[in-house]
Amino acid sequence: MSAVWAAARAAVRRRRLQTFVIALVALLCTATAVVSLALLDATSAPFDRVFGQQRGAHAVAVYDPAAATAEQLAAARDGVAAGAGPFGQSVAETKAAGPIGSMLGPLSIVGRADPAGDVDRLDVWRGRWPSAPGEITLNAPPEDAVTFSRGPMGELTTLTANGTTLTVVGWAYSVSHSADAWVTPEQMTAWKPTGAQMLYRFDGDVSTRDAVEQRLAVVTAGLPGGALLAAQPYQVVKEEAAETAGVYLPFLGAFGVLGLLVAVIIVGNVVSGAVVSGFRHIGVLKSLGFTPRQVVAVYLTMVTVPATAGAVLGTVLGAFGAQPLLADTFRGLGYGQDTGVQPWVWITGLLGVPLVVLVAALLPASRAHRLSAAEAISAGSAPQRGRALRIQRLLGGTRLPRSISLGLGLPFARPGRTALTMASLLLGVTTVTFATGLADTLIETSRLDAAAGGDVGIRPERAGPAGATPARLDDQEIEALLRGLPGAAKVGASAGRSVPVVGQSSPVQVNFVRGDVAAMGYQAQLLAGRWLAGPDEVVASAELINKRGLAVGDTLVLDLDGTRTTVTIVGETLQSLPGPGDGLFAAWRDLPGVDPFDFYFQVELAEGADVQAFIASVRAADPGLMAWDNTDVTDLTVVVTGISTVLALLLATVAALGVLNTVALNVQDRRRDLGMLKSIGMTPRQVVAMLVTSMAALGVIGGLLGIPFGMAAHRLVIPLAAEAAKVTLPDYVMRVWDPATLALMVAAGVLIAVLGALLPARSAARLSIARVLHNE
Amino acid sequence: MTTETVVRLDDVRKEYGETAALDGVSLTIRRGEAVAVMGPSGCGKSTLLNMIAGLDRPTSGEVTVHGERLDAMTETRLALFRRHHLGMIFQFFNLLDDLSALDNVALAAQLTGSSAATARRRALELFDELGIAGRRDVYPAALSGGERQRVAVARALMNRPALLLADEPTGALDSRAGEQVMDLLIDLNQIGQTLLIVTHDERLAHRCASRLVQLADGRIAAESALDRV
Repeated sequence: MSAVWAAARAAVRRRRLQTFVIALVALLCTATAVVSLALLDATSAPFDRVFGQQRGAHAVAVYDPAAATAEQLAAARDGVAAGAGPFGQSVAETKAAGPIGSMLGPLSIVGRADPAGDVDRLDVWRGRWPSAPGEITLNAPPEDAVTFSRGPMGELTTLTANGTTLTVVGWAYSVSHSADAWVTPEQMTAWKPTGAQMLYRFDGDVSTRDAVEQRLAVVTAGLPGGALLAAQPYQVVKEEAAETAGVYLPFLGAFGVLGLLVAVIIVGNVVSGAVVSGFRHIGVLKSLGFTPRQVVAVYLTMVTVPATAGAVLGTVLGAFGAQPLLADTFRGLGYGQDTGVQPWVWITGLLGVPLVVLVAALLPASRAHRLSAAEAISAGSAPQRGRALRIQRLLGGTRLPRSISLGLGLPFARPGRTALTMASLLLGVTTVTFATGLADTLIETSRLDAAAGGDVGIRPERAGPAGATPARLDDQEIEALLRGLPGAAKVGASAGRSVPVVGQSSPVQVNFVRGDVAAMGYQAQLLAGRWLAGPDEVVASAELINKRGLAVGDTLVLDLDGTRTTVTIVGETLQSLPGPGDGLFAAWRDLPGVDPFDFYFQVELAEGADVQAFIASVRAADPGLMAWDNTDVTDLTVVVTGISTVLALLLATVAALGVLNTVALNVQDRRRDLGMLKSIGMTPRQVVAMLVTSMAALGVIGGLLGIPFGMAAHRLVIPLAAEAAKVTLPDYVMRVWDPATLALMVAAGVLIAVLGALLPARSAARLSIARVLHNE
Repeated sequence: MTTETVVRLDDVRKEYGETAALDGVSLTIRRGEAVAVMGPSGCGKSTLLNMIAGLDRPTSGEVTVHGERLDAMTETRLALFRRHHLGMIFQFFNLLDDLSALDNVALAAQLTGSSAATARRRALELFDELGIAGRRDVYPAALSGGERQRVAVARALMNRPALLLADEPTGALDSRAGEQVMDLLIDLNQIGQTLLIVTHDERLAHRCASRLVQLADGRIAAESALDRV
């Protein structure tokens, strides 16, 4: 065994607490860094990851089966790395009972024998693949079992497509969005498909839409002219997905950066502190004949061995701990795919933290390398002078209890160590403040959503779909029924219609409203202007205004059943009514030929009323009425508040560990002083008070400094997310700070500091005076 | 000297694992006495001092100082007892490096709840008495060994202790500084301060103590009265 290894092993044994702290800090920092990197990775390229895993199609092409035979399509493979198809395809009008019936619309259905293959490997996340005619599997991002069973998808057991009643046997997910649903090839043959679908993965550059189209042109060059009916490059779905991802990116990016900063600072503080506190030992080793290089090697070994062990465990812990967060993130992003932690994150976790440790240790160790043995020995016991002494003198003259004033002076003895500890506390408080503000804003937004959406949504059942019972009441009778049911406080009614707008390429959804719609929150959440007051006025949702470049005061010419009607946008609301598209609110008017299904009612219940009981009473009154619970919080709120809470707790714990390490080092440096103080009558409680005060003071300062950073992050990140979601948030959802909350944030800083300091302070209080002073 | 007992040890035994550092030591020290404890290294001198200072607890036996049983006290009560009734000086002074000489001394009174001003006034009186008034604002690192030990003595006397314990008080001093400290201890004893000195230095024992206790293998091997030189 080499002398270096023997000395390092002996040093590790002698400093068990410090070794344990280094390993624990490395473990938690690595875990934090791995979780942060995994989330950053997930948000930076979520589509690419899922697309890669599913071997998504670079192009989904639909051919005319009358123009090109299956053999010709299968043979056309120039430049194709992998292909699948041809699969029969048909676009079918569908009907289904229950709330989901309103969401289905026409579906693109593909006949496909199995979900595997070289391209577009589908994730069948619930149920199974269709195995016989009369069965169908639908395309949707995965949901967990609870969400699935509570949502409208859980109620969908049958649907009618192309006049055939089909049993829903499963749910699958295609990130390429190659179809809305799949049936067996036999079922498709029976329907006589109108298209033949081919899925392609190409060789070479596919980075742009043009590049994909060029590759596709090569494939189709040998096919009969006009065979290609339509083609969708993967960039189309990728761009759609980017909008959702953009909402999450600022949140997770902020936490990821904070996590990495805290990890690096604390590892640096712990390791450099360990080396500095070992200067005296370094001097002794030199005096024994260790060369400067050997001494540095001893210290690097001493800190990198426990740090590497911690980093390995931390990487494993972080990678597994990140799984539920990643699953939540991907579900929130609309992929729902639990894709796991990427190899580069594992490698960074395994190598990155030991590397930071090495660099952090190398800086003070190189100083030890230069010092003579005598200098090293004296440097090991020499705290800072000058300002620290003046501050101690000033504090000694105050009326504070001496244990407190001594504690307040301690941080000035080691300003470098204090600065790093303060930085970690500051970042800890910044994280907690940001997470608190974020949660408060999301909860406030969610509350607005919930208030505006009502507690219960009701829609009349449409006649026709399998299992559906048409409503027997008309819209007036339904509204009267709802108002009369026990528990109803407010009832709003609307009739939605897709209306062409003169001069615009796509129609706009107009919701003609009556009853308590305005009073149910939509008026309260006006971002600009006022609520509509006449038939020629409309209120637009923020998303519609942003998407179409409109503004309050603009006029629109609507083509209502052949009659041109000019309306003025008099207000902008945070959101629109539930339903297709984000549309306009307009005054109620009689609309001839409205499908009963287009009526929508929402009910706000009285305080304490039972939502489920109300839903049951609606269904009992008219089985043709679909009623559902509208009180669920959004995925975004659940995911972001969940992740922010976990990360804030993790970072606060890591910051507390940084404090623990600082106090442990201070105690080690001041063992003699502590022994002396106890020998002249300082009680154990006073020792604890002194050491805890030294860190609590930093907690207060870290808290006061961290709050503005946290508030700034909140102010910066939330508008970025709102911008990505193309919504405008009312100012008051950003006004989440009040004196009580801010005081709590300072208290959080103190709490992190006190919790971190308590353990080593109690251990210092138990120091044996006889042993400490005898050792001198 | 009165007959009042300040320290009484009854059959005190202290074991560290298999080894007995003290083995049935009984000892009495009366008010105003100056007792020196001597013996070879490892004979139990420091352990005896730790027992009397309440820094360590006996495995068996009773330790009574100033009428109170130290072996039965909690850590907090021991701390309060030391604060009010004991003064200690050490071979290596044990001053706080980041407090001035005056603040080091005042600290002992501040721990009892005295205000900073009161504590500093009392400390200044002691600095005058010990002849180090000119060094009050100097930090320990800039003091000579003798001055440091005087500051340590001042700190030990700050709360007017019933017993002053000195652990090799001249062990880290040159002969001149050692002489000064010895003179100081003699002066203190002459004005009634009870002293217990643990030392290897026969000269210190014979100059300062009125009684010599010799330890060997954790037992009292001999006790004798001394005529101060």
